[in-house]
Amino acid sequence: MTAKLDPLIHPITRLSICGLLAAGADWIEFAALRDAAGISDSVLSKQSRVLEDAGYVEVRKGAIGRRPRTWFRLTPEGRQAVEGHLAWLAQLEEAVSASARDLQQARSLPDDRDQPHDRDEPRHVLPPLLGSS
Amino acid sequence: MGDVARDQAALELLRVQRSRLADQMRWPWWYQSGLAMMYALVFAFPFISRFDPGIRVWPFLLPTLAVACLMQWGLTRATGIKVGFRNLRFPASGRPTRIAIVAVSLGAVFTEASLIRKDVIVPAIVIAALALVAEMALQQAALRGIREELRGGGGAA
Repeated sequence: MTAKLDPLIHPITRLSICGLLAAGADWIEFAALRDAAGISDSVLSKQSRVLEDAGYVEVRKGAIGRRPRTWFRLTPEGRQAVEGHLAWLAQLEEAVSASARDLQQARSLPDDRDQPHDRDEPRHVLPPLLGSS
Repeated sequence: MGDVARDQAALELLRVQRSRLADQMRWPWWYQSGLAMMYALVFAFPFISRFDPGIRVWPFLLPTLAVACLMQWGLTRATGIKVGFRNLRFPASGRPTRIAIVAVSLGAVFTEASLIRKDVIVPAIVIAALALVAEMALQQAALRGIREELRGGGGAA
């Protein structure tokens, strides 16, 4: 699995939907997904259609009695994209926390003016796609 | 830097949302009762077969399996989450619990049968009751495992 940014999944709502569908369940019902993501019916309908059109999400519609039920699941292609995107986000998070740690360590050192100041700079470089989100 | 903070927040939000999803994976009251009744029937089989030796295991086992499938279907509808079939090999996280579920069932039924053959009825009843309690606890542990799995997620987050 390669860690890479997927612009289709990157918006927060779609990331939530895909991230929940990738959590380990086979299928998740509309209401359960809506409640877990904390979004409205219309937002979920709209964003799931975008993901379905992209081939990332499979939608199954049915009914129990008169109540319509819609179920979602990730396609293999969607799963691969989500896992790659989450890995990219995790790398980003790791890089940011490593930078913060380095900065904190540099600040906590005694103020030695004879030492070169490049020690204060964070050693870790953030991924190149940082600004593109 | 705002984008970075937003991306970090997105990952944190996803963890919260997965936790919320995992919390939805709870047994309704009827599922717990149904499960207890199902196990009671399974562990009652050695006693029934003693008093009616002509009874076969299949007419007993097949309706039990049918009820189990029906309950699973109901649970999926009630929670809105369908988790795939868990066998003894997959996923690895809950494997000891699932092996224990099968081992306790088989062990209890065979021990009961052996005790009943020797006409030691009271210890057989105690074994059946203990096995029922153990199975319910193991099923709860399996459910907790599924919840942890949902919380942890299938991706890198």
